[in-house]
Amino acid sequence: MSAEGAPLLELRRVTKSFGGLRSVDDLNLEVREGEIVSLIGPNGAGKTTVFNLVTGIYAPDEGEIRLEGRDITGLPPHRIAQLGIARTFQTLRLFLNMTVKENVMAAAYGHTKAGVVRSVLRTPGMRREEREIERLAEERLAFFGDRLVGYRWRQPAYSLSYANRRRLEIARATAVNPKLLLLDEPAAGMNPVETHEITELIGRLREEGGYTILVIEHDMHVVEGISDRVVALDHGEKIAEGAFDLVATDQRVVEAYLGTSGAERK
Amino acid sequence: MGPESDRPDLPREPLEPEGPRVGVDEWVASADRLQDRPTGVAGALRRAGEVVTPPIQLAIFAGLAATVPFWLGTGDLFTYGIFVLLYVLLGLGLNTIVGFAGLLDLGYVAFFGFGAYFYAILSSDHYGIHWPAIVTVPLVVATTASLGLLLGIPSRRLLGDYLAIVTLFFGQAFVVFVNATNPVVAGKGLTGGPNGIADIDPLSFFGLEASTRTQQYYVLLVSAVLILTGLHFLSQSRTGRALRSLREDPLAAGAIGIPVNRLKLLAFAIGAGIAGFTGCIFGTLLTAVTAGNFDIPILITIYAVVILGGFGSLSGVVLGALVITVSFQFLAPENPQNNARVLFYTLIVLVIVLLVRSWWRVALVLATTVALGAAVQAAVAAVAPSWTGGRVVEGGRLGDLIGGWVVIPQGHPDFGNVAYVALVVAVLALTQIRPSRRIFALPAVAYLAAIVWETSFVLQPAVARWILFGALLVVLMNVRPQGLLGTPRVEIV
Amino acid sequence: MELPLLSVLDTVRDLGWSGAVELFRNGLALGSLYALIALGYTMVYGILKLLNFAHGDVYMVGAFIGFGVLNAFGGSPSPTIAILPLIVLMFLVAMLGAGALGVVIERFAYRPLRSSSRLTVLITALGVSFFLQNSMLLLFGAQFRSYQSFQLGSDNPAAFEPGPLVEPLFTIGGVSFQRIQIAVLATSVALMVALTLLVAKTTLGKAMRATAYDHEAAAMMGIDVNRVIAATFFIGSVLAGAAGVMFGLMFSQINHFMGFYAGLKGFTAAVVGGIGSIPGAMLGGLLVGLVESYAQGYLGGQWSDIAVFAILIIVLLVRPTGLLGARAIQKV
Repeated sequence: MSAEGAPLLELRRVTKSFGGLRSVDDLNLEVREGEIVSLIGPNGAGKTTVFNLVTGIYAPDEGEIRLEGRDITGLPPHRIAQLGIARTFQTLRLFLNMTVKENVMAAAYGHTKAGVVRSVLRTPGMRREEREIERLAEERLAFFGDRLVGYRWRQPAYSLSYANRRRLEIARATAVNPKLLLLDEPAAGMNPVETHEITELIGRLREEGGYTILVIEHDMHVVEGISDRVVALDHGEKIAEGAFDLVATDQRVVEAYLGTSGAERK
Repeated sequence: MGPESDRPDLPREPLEPEGPRVGVDEWVASADRLQDRPTGVAGALRRAGEVVTPPIQLAIFAGLAATVPFWLGTGDLFTYGIFVLLYVLLGLGLNTIVGFAGLLDLGYVAFFGFGAYFYAILSSDHYGIHWPAIVTVPLVVATTASLGLLLGIPSRRLLGDYLAIVTLFFGQAFVVFVNATNPVVAGKGLTGGPNGIADIDPLSFFGLEASTRTQQYYVLLVSAVLILTGLHFLSQSRTGRALRSLREDPLAAGAIGIPVNRLKLLAFAIGAGIAGFTGCIFGTLLTAVTAGNFDIPILITIYAVVILGGFGSLSGVVLGALVITVSFQFLAPENPQNNARVLFYTLIVLVIVLLVRSWWRVALVLATTVALGAAVQAAVAAVAPSWTGGRVVEGGRLGDLIGGWVVIPQGHPDFGNVAYVALVVAVLALTQIRPSRRIFALPAVAYLAAIVWETSFVLQPAVARWILFGALLVVLMNVRPQGLLGTPRVEIV
Repeated sequence: MELPLLSVLDTVRDLGWSGAVELFRNGLALGSLYALIALGYTMVYGILKLLNFAHGDVYMVGAFIGFGVLNAFGGSPSPTIAILPLIVLMFLVAMLGAGALGVVIERFAYRPLRSSSRLTVLITALGVSFFLQNSMLLLFGAQFRSYQSFQLGSDNPAAFEPGPLVEPLFTIGGVSFQRIQIAVLATSVALMVALTLLVAKTTLGKAMRATAYDHEAAAMMGIDVNRVIAATFFIGSVLAGAAGVMFGLMFSQINHFMGFYAGLKGFTAAVVGGIGSIPGAMLGGLLVGLVESYAQGYLGGQWSDIAVFAILIIVLLVRPTGLLGARAIQKV
């Protein structure tokens, strides 16, 4: 349990370079429990790298990352997931040859415990846990209405439409039972109707699911609709932070997206 | 939440689309409907597969297998029955590593060898140690599993292809070790060098000895059933799901809390343990082990079993073991040629059936082939009699029939080679012809294949075996990469 | 174990400098063969991410073709044409034949599987390897064939007088460098230089590099990906064919199984040097050849394979992408 006032996620002076390229530069970031924070910035600003650092895929060259005050810097990804951080991927990384339901059930591994011996012997305890895992998966999938329920459960993930795949990946992430959800461009490639749905969905994730959410997004309508707070990055540095209206009109942010002459025109 | 439309609360199978619905994937729904009810042989098999669930499959297999000693003679029981079960076990172990976890282990046969040798050292006249099986078998299994763990450790850092080469070398190192290195321990070469270790004790538990082939067969059968059951349960559990996730996408698996490296080690350990167990039994069956039992050809055969059956499919391993073992045995040099001949011609017919979709066309092709053959035979006999003088090797009824149909020249030793090259070219050319036109070329190619068999293959069946095997792999990967009973996979390449 | 360190040191001392130079010479010769084979592996892997297990067998076929040409002209020790043109002809025919074989294999076995999983193609490669090996076995039988290079072109073969191939060209430290060994080394270097120039300077080379980087992007830039891939296989197989003839000329005995081990070592060389890297393949080949030669000399025959294995493990543990391999940064 985080102490009063302590942020759920904290990045302190985090730096990461790839070869000569400084992808994340001395970044300080906080996300408080129950918040929805959006991370914006032009391509190459380092947003996905931040996600990768937080989820343990990379270790930062300098700085610290803390979850509920606990230092998680350099821990392996599966450990961080078990401690309560789950994510979706910009390029979608589903288990394509597994069924919809199995994809979500797989995510329950981190908080279940039936071992090899009990599985092979099919003990009553293991069977009970399996039923619970299955119920959990059904519940998480039901979050999306009837798009991923019923006969869909048994369908292989590769047969899903693009929008449904994005939804499935979110459902899978929630099955980890995380405290913090990292959504990497959840509205990418969606038509206006689906984008609207995603906006509502993210709100519902916080209201009904109780998750704290950090979102990378390019679509400003979505960002406007969901964010308590917006953080803007450019070339790995934080250039603005605050409410949407403030950040969206910030001179530096406009310049980062449109370039200086573009900013002048605007 | 979404746009208005008439949707049921929990959609059942969509029978007929009720007109376009906004926001609902229409195409996918209709495609799903089509996919759910495939036609033809594939569809029938799928529906059969749904009815005959794995427990029933296992029961059928166990039941049928249990009756085998009653209708196979002892010699055949050994070559066929016992060896099929050995390969089932080995295939199950390899399937755990490659099929469940997606790790390419080309040194797998070394686990098998290690188990056999270790058991032999502990229960034979080699050092005069005769520990009871109840002690040695668990010990050997545990040690082999640990060896698997050890080999799995580099897998964390090595990409798939590198892992393949390292494990391949490990397998070779094992063979070199037992064959040549043979270090002197307690006054004697540990592994017996090229002679291996002989006089291995037969398997005995609590005074019950498995010394007859039938008894050994049942020991293997029971083991196979138990391991099949265990692996099936494992596959249905959270560990099985985690392994499958690992195979699909290790990065995503890690991101959802699956300890990827630990599971890789687990897969290696289980696969190695099964191989070690099989090694123990193998030693007692042959009462002697040498390095040659654990070299590349055996590794390839185990892979063939799993590839043919389909990676990841337990029933596939059983089927694969059956087909591969029986085929290889039919084509073994010691076997009477008639078995091999029957197998080969059945193979030709099978290929024709698979290439030509409808039954009456198949009959047409076969009839044309026979007619063509007879015509060619007659023509050649009339023009150049010496070219049909040759005899069919080890005939029998079928052989005599074939002899009058296939052109077998006498005194033209290179004919077989020429025919073989011609056949390879013809088959390659066949793949380039449009499918609708192929049917015209089939009879000629089939006849040519028969000629090649009688003039070339039948004289060197062991070599022919490997040629067919290599061709089978290529064709299988092109036509049906998921094997006979595997499910087609979608890969992000 | 059977390897007391002291006895190894004794062997080193016994063999002395001339021994060390001799082993070095052997290692160079062997290494250049492995380098040529490794180049084929590395080029194909760079473009298709495929471990072409059949590559070693193309090398074997090259050796047999060379043998066939040799015999077509009377065979050693009394060929019907002069030695030099004979050898050149052997090389040319073997290289072209091997190249053609490589193209055929790619066309029929690998091209249909362009979009299949890596495992599927790997298994196909294995199947092709078996097919080739055993086809040669079927066609030519199991007995070893010999180039009889020792007596090739000799004036008095009956008296076991050595032919011009094995006459020493020069001597260093008491160790003679035979003509054929020098010729092999020179030819290998020439081929490798030619390849490097091809890849770096020509349009085809640029196309190959582009395709290795990204098939789809290359196709969109107007590069005929199929032709480029076929050319890659051709070039790699040409090199392997040359290596096959070189092996025959240096070591005489060829058999249908020689491709397996040579392919394995060549592949190891490619991995050690960094798979996908052309200079890496050359470096790796040299390294593997030298290690094998010295291990054979100082430790004994059965340890040479293990020594090569050990080098592989060490390099992979220290630098998982090989000595000159690119550090693969995975974009998530």
